[in-house]
Amino acid sequence: MLVIVTGISHKTASLELRERLALDDEQSLRLARELLDEGSACEAVALSTCNRTELYLYARDSLAARQAAVAHLARQAGVDVSELEQSSYSYSGDGAIAHLFRVTSSLDSMVVGEAQIVAQMKAAYQQACEGGCTSVVFNRLFRNALEVGKRVRTETAIGERPVSISSAAVELALQVFGRFRDHTVLIVGAGETGELTATHLKAHGIEEILVTNRTLSAAEELARRVGGRAVPFEDLEGHLAAADIVISSTSAPGYVIGRDSVERALRRRHHRPVFFIDIAVPRDLDPEIGRVRNAYLYDIDDLQHVVAQNRHERDKEAARAERIVEQELANVNDWLRSLEVVPTIATLRESVEQIRRGELERLGGKISGLTDEQRAQVDMLTNSIVNKILHMPTVKMKEVAGRDQCYLYVDAVRTLFDLDGGEATPEAPADPPSVEAPEAGSGATVHHLPDTGTEDA
Amino acid sequence: MDQTSTICLWLAYVLYAAAFAVFLVAFFTQRPGLNRLGLVVAAVALVFQTAALIARGVSAGHFPFVGAYESLILVSWAIALVWHVLESFTRIKAVGLYVMPVVLVLLTLALVEYQAPRALAPALKSDVVILHVAVMLVAIGCLYVSGGAALIYLVEEALLRRRRPGGVLGRLPSLATLDRLIYHATLLGLPFLTMGMAAGVIRAETFSVPRWWIDPMVLLSAAAWAVYVVLLAGRVRGGWDGRRISWLAVTGLVLLLVIRFVAVPYLSGFHTYGG
Repeated sequence: MLVIVTGISHKTASLELRERLALDDEQSLRLARELLDEGSACEAVALSTCNRTELYLYARDSLAARQAAVAHLARQAGVDVSELEQSSYSYSGDGAIAHLFRVTSSLDSMVVGEAQIVAQMKAAYQQACEGGCTSVVFNRLFRNALEVGKRVRTETAIGERPVSISSAAVELALQVFGRFRDHTVLIVGAGETGELTATHLKAHGIEEILVTNRTLSAAEELARRVGGRAVPFEDLEGHLAAADIVISSTSAPGYVIGRDSVERALRRRHHRPVFFIDIAVPRDLDPEIGRVRNAYLYDIDDLQHVVAQNRHERDKEAARAERIVEQELANVNDWLRSLEVVPTIATLRESVEQIRRGELERLGGKISGLTDEQRAQVDMLTNSIVNKILHMPTVKMKEVAGRDQCYLYVDAVRTLFDLDGGEATPEAPADPPSVEAPEAGSGATVHHLPDTGTEDA
Repeated sequence: MDQTSTICLWLAYVLYAAAFAVFLVAFFTQRPGLNRLGLVVAAVALVFQTAALIARGVSAGHFPFVGAYESLILVSWAIALVWHVLESFTRIKAVGLYVMPVVLVLLTLALVEYQAPRALAPALKSDVVILHVAVMLVAIGCLYVSGGAALIYLVEEALLRRRRPGGVLGRLPSLATLDRLIYHATLLGLPFLTMGMAAGVIRAETFSVPRWWIDPMVLLSAAAWAVYVVLLAGRVRGGWDGRRISWLAVTGLVLLLVIRFVAVPYLSGFHTYGG
């Protein structure tokens, strides 16, 4: 049994393909259900975000499961299987679990350290769980993955520093004001970054947003979008005195706000600090403003410098996060291996016990002449033979549990005693022996070596 | 009993050092959660220091404020206590980075100047003196914290102004928070300073200490008191900005340090910590 993941992400597929493969909740669940119903997998979780669509499967035959998954995804996207194969990736065994952990820790995200992925993964898992698509292995594995995601966020500073211009601007303003309660922001010009910054500020609780532009209609339009108030451009200096944060992004060729008007405005506001953000090129704000007492001026270069520094710190933290993933991987692997051994021993004992009972029943007529006591002795004798024979394999199996090679033993025992041909174990519904046989030989040796992260893209 | 006190003090010392190390790591790695660990370690250290003070008081048979050893332990204890109280109300990060080294330096001075406990000088056997010392301790604790916050403010402000705030962002408290901390710590400390000075004057008058007002410590304390009054008045009435407030708080801190480390050992007439 193996964990397998197949899917596409921002690293392998175009936005167009990702759009076509974006699954809503219902589609995700249906896809997982189909894979279970047709017997390709025993457990399934489908994850779909704007940057990736992935299927996590727990299956006996990893190759067949992967093929089925790709086929379903291709049908969903309305593309050829061969086309999807080119942009998709698959991992199995350790590689798949490592991938799951890295995705949940946002190490595989477009913006490393972003916070949403944990919630998205949680939702995907919960949905699959409620839909009955997960069982022992995935219930534990996905909960473990969510814990890894949480651990990475609390033990590393991976998501601490913002890495976009607009959020860096907000962070700088926060460093001055602490929090935005009764603060006012003035947006000069209707640029996109200005709007984005205003939205961020709003999310951080800023009260009043003033928007001004040479053409009042554009200001009104932007004010409506960000939930602010448009003010006439002619009265810029008057509003400057009211603003704690000024964001300027006009396309004017010269300076829009000069040092003198800032000095006057600061006097009018009793020198309460003002944070100026100039994201226009050419610049809107006279660099001399930065010399005025209690005026802080940051232009696009300064912000980019902050962002570059933050990115660098994030990279360092990502390396620490990778180490956490490795640790957790080792833990979960031990568990997965022991999980396989215990039910196999139980099934083996059950199967041999069945043979013994069957044989005793078959002999029923021939030993009917025996007394009850003698019959009990026969029963004891056969029982003790069975136990003696099974003793060593049981001990040896328990010994290898938790070792890298334990899959080999499990598969060998299951094949030699044909354990999956008859009764199914609780976690592993039966596969036809014809499918099982090649998997046990070739599949096991390929997939169960430590750290196999075979990318079949 | 004095031995118990010394052991507790050393434990507190080691724990403060550990807390400082944790705060440093927290600052440079920005590991969330480490700050909390540092606070817990510092709190345990404070418990040991309190135990050390109590044991010392029991063994000496009086409130332990006699001599440099006891007074330094008391002052550092007051600073740590005030900081913990302010911290639990305001949840301001990074101030521990300033408070811990101050406490450690004071404790180091205390530990190298160990003095065996001795009886109170007759002049100090007075409730007014005890009140004077206790109230002054609270004042000093508050005003050291205020001065420390002001130092952080000035450094941070300069970095933000130079547009290279990389090392500061998200690690230090915001300027507005520091401004509030300076204000609140001073607001809390000034009344105690006033009370302590009043108790001192009452004591000097009742025992008719000759020309007590030209004692260097008295003069410097009066100057520090005036600085803090100006600070509060400017902040409340004049709407002064954080930078001006910070410079005043740092001035006050320097005066307090001069009093403790220059005036007391080298200049003072009668303020000899009972020595």
